[in-house]
Amino acid sequence: MFSRMAPRGRSGLGRSLAELGLLLLAILVLLDGTVLSLEAATSSEIDTHEGKPGTHKNTSKKSFPVLGIKYDDVSVPFEISLWVLLASLMKLGFHLIPRLSNVVPESCLLISVGLLVGGILKLARDEVPPVLSDRIFFLCLLPPIILDAGYFLPIRPFVENIGTILMFAVVGTLWNAFFVGGLIYAVCQIAQDKYSEIDLSNIGILPCLLFGSIISAVDPVAVLAVFEEIHINELLHILVFGESLLNDAVTVVLYHLFEEFMESGSVSAVDALLGLVSFLIVALGGVLVGAFYGILAAFTSRFTSHTRVIEPLFVFLYSYMAYLSAEVFHLSGIMSLIACGAVMRPYVEANISHKSHTTIKYFLKMWSSVSETLIFIFLGVATVEGEHHWNWVFLTSTVVLCLVARVIGVVGLTFIINKFRIVKLTTKDQFIIAYGGLRGAIAFSLGFILHSEHKRIFLTAIITVIFFTVFVQGMTIKPLVELLAVKKKHEAKRSINEEIHTRFLDHLLTGIEDICGHYGHHHWKNKLNRFNKKYVKKILIAGDRSKEPQLIAFYHKLEMKNAIQMVESGGGSKLNSTFPSTVSMQNIQPKIHSPPSARPSERALPQLTKGREEEIRQILRTNLQKTRQRLQSYNRHTLVVDPDEEGFDDLILKKRRMMELDWKVCKTSSHKSSNAIYSQAYVKPGAENVPTIKIDLASPQSPDSVRLLDEVVQDQGLTMSLPSSSSRAYKTSGKDDGRDQQKLLRCLSDPGPDVDDDEDYDDDEPVPT
Amino acid sequence: MGSSRSSLRGVPDGQQLLQETGFSAALLLRLHQRFQFLDKDSRGHLRSEDLEAELSENPIGDRIVGAFFQPGQETVDFPSFVRVLAHFRPTEKNWTRDGVQPEPANSRNRKLKFAFQLYDQDRDGKISRTELLQVLREMLGLQVTEEQLQSIAERAIQEADLDRDDAICFDEFRKSLEKVDIDHKMSVRFLE
Repeated sequence: MFSRMAPRGRSGLGRSLAELGLLLLAILVLLDGTVLSLEAATSSEIDTHEGKPGTHKNTSKKSFPVLGIKYDDVSVPFEISLWVLLASLMKLGFHLIPRLSNVVPESCLLISVGLLVGGILKLARDEVPPVLSDRIFFLCLLPPIILDAGYFLPIRPFVENIGTILMFAVVGTLWNAFFVGGLIYAVCQIAQDKYSEIDLSNIGILPCLLFGSIISAVDPVAVLAVFEEIHINELLHILVFGESLLNDAVTVVLYHLFEEFMESGSVSAVDALLGLVSFLIVALGGVLVGAFYGILAAFTSRFTSHTRVIEPLFVFLYSYMAYLSAEVFHLSGIMSLIACGAVMRPYVEANISHKSHTTIKYFLKMWSSVSETLIFIFLGVATVEGEHHWNWVFLTSTVVLCLVARVIGVVGLTFIINKFRIVKLTTKDQFIIAYGGLRGAIAFSLGFILHSEHKRIFLTAIITVIFFTVFVQGMTIKPLVELLAVKKKHEAKRSINEEIHTRFLDHLLTGIEDICGHYGHHHWKNKLNRFNKKYVKKILIAGDRSKEPQLIAFYHKLEMKNAIQMVESGGGSKLNSTFPSTVSMQNIQPKIHSPPSARPSERALPQLTKGREEEIRQILRTNLQKTRQRLQSYNRHTLVVDPDEEGFDDLILKKRRMMELDWKVCKTSSHKSSNAIYSQAYVKPGAENVPTIKIDLASPQSPDSVRLLDEVVQDQGLTMSLPSSSSRAYKTSGKDDGRDQQKLLRCLSDPGPDVDDDEDYDDDEPVPT
Repeated sequence: MGSSRSSLRGVPDGQQLLQETGFSAALLLRLHQRFQFLDKDSRGHLRSEDLEAELSENPIGDRIVGAFFQPGQETVDFPSFVRVLAHFRPTEKNWTRDGVQPEPANSRNRKLKFAFQLYDQDRDGKISRTELLQVLREMLGLQVTEEQLQSIAERAIQEADLDRDDAICFDEFRKSLEKVDIDHKMSVRFLE
């Protein structure tokens, strides 16, 4: 095992770390095994001890136990922690061996580990704990992943493609279920394997259909795990992923329907009709429950300005309640969770502090990451655990039928869908959609709770299909994507131009639709936005932020990020980037248009000579700390370096020192500071030897960087008193000060990963343009 | 084909418009009916008041209405009406550029050009700072202060303006929108 895993020619450190990790793993597993067997031993000891208390007391005085083992009390949490620790260490281990993680997707590796652990446990104790019970799976492991997906769902592409997604989810899954179920029944009837002890022809049509409905659903966990590593373009990602989320309703209905039919034994037309009605209820009911809890969460977050620390808790609790409430009524829990996350997000994000936002983001990513790892490991373990009924005919025909059904379904549906789409789906797209139809743990869990007599053979078949899709399709999809040259994701930020122009185009299209007299897409979106702005935002968003137009909020965020970038990377070198505003410049010198020159920095600081600029750079370089390179891309495995660790204190201190160099504010009376939103950098020409730069992070109501530093430095445990002369100029009504400080704290405390901020920008409104 | 030819009799320049714009005959008929509906006094042409009535709530309504009218003219006849709407037909994916045919009205370039002209009211080929400010003012209304508008406009121009002439010409405009799917964003499904 060690020799297989040891990478060739890697650095010595990496190799030894990987080996260390594996050693640790082996130790953990053995520890787990021995501890569990010890538990059996100690419990028997205690039994015998208590069996004869009386005699013992009389005969000998028990010596005081200095060291004892009492495992019973902590067994459950201990084992759970051990499993989670195992999962996390595995994750660590895989990313230390980059070559392996490039070729094999993580899900495959995790299942293999699960198989290994299951095998070890079976050898050690001759039985494997049933870890993937449906309760653990549906109540603990699945919700974090779905919530993570729903909270960060890119709403705009989702809603734009909702028709396609629904078609694939509903019609596609139904087609898959009936096709696979029906043909499997036919195969069972026809095939008579003399060597197998299982009589296939015993399996009736209804169990087959039930089996078909379980196996036909595309699994969100598997899709997420695999697609996250291949970075395909947004459209395909949202199509497959959206389908995997929405087909839960169909699966739930079909499953319950066929189970009921199996119990009652007969099917009538009325039952089929009731099934259809039940589908609508399950789907819409789930969404309504989720939306209800989402609105509650948004409303609650309006009042949390004084208790910022528990803000993330509300988000998580309301979402989990939404999931559980939906499950109580047999509605679709997944759709409820998605609806809750998607509905609450724009309002909650407007209300909570930036730190809470960061907390929510990182907690969700962490939980969903661990959950996913655990699910795959448990899948491996559960494979080893069960007794399997191998029937080659059944297994191969299941796999083949699933593939065939998927391909036919996708091709057929695309043919119909393309008639209604503006941007058609090409053959390449269809191939990826068909190939990305992975099955996963949901199918397994549903199979686990079957009460059928053929449960074992069904489970074996389900596991086979899961293994096939995850291993074969999961491993080959990446090279296929490369081979077919499928369009990849743009890793780019939205610029202010794009934002302005897309808004403009939305208004334009709405106008054209009005002229044509056609109530189209844009018309309804416009109406929804207007409704949202007029009523909903007022109720759900605290204070003045409800009136902030989205463009302004977007611009504000951009400016903040720019300012942070400028501060962190040493200021001087960043002077060349887009300089925030020249309005202050207009106040200093009346000339608005400086003569065109080569660099924008010169345009913004026209009075600065070369020499002066150099001096400024020098000062900034010596005073500001050059921080480490910020990670530009984001995925589940990398988190941005925590700015609260080493060096941030120094940064703040130095920044403050630098700002104390020039405390005079360049401002004329016409400056309406109370509404200034942008970050300004002033240059005071000629007043001192060295024109210094003051970077002033402003906010809507009260741009007060003085107060900001007070706040931040106090956080770090230092005290300082700053001259209040400048703050006088900025003082406005203090009612929104608390929030402003939070806002300013936001930008300093967490730069945030860049890529994800795209999602932040896009989705401030429920149906953003 | 024969029936549509006869039904297009009431439509001025019907055949020519069919070819020019690529609309189907049925659609052209519907647009004609819509035109007649908007033309409340049955003059055979539209005035700006007729169009403005539909766009009362739109922040850039005046610009859109203005785009229908040729410079100097005060009325819009049906062919001009249809020609403007032709810009918003969804693009066919298979259209390839060959030197012979003139570029259809709904090509990406023409769509962008149309949008550009909505910004550039004085038709000098550039979006100046004042023009951008006007658009921002119309879109954002009274909710923001003058200074916020100034800074947004400033930043937008800095981002897009590559040749440093403090205005956005058509190429710069097109470049700043290269990541946006214009074919999708500027198409009305009704006009397919």
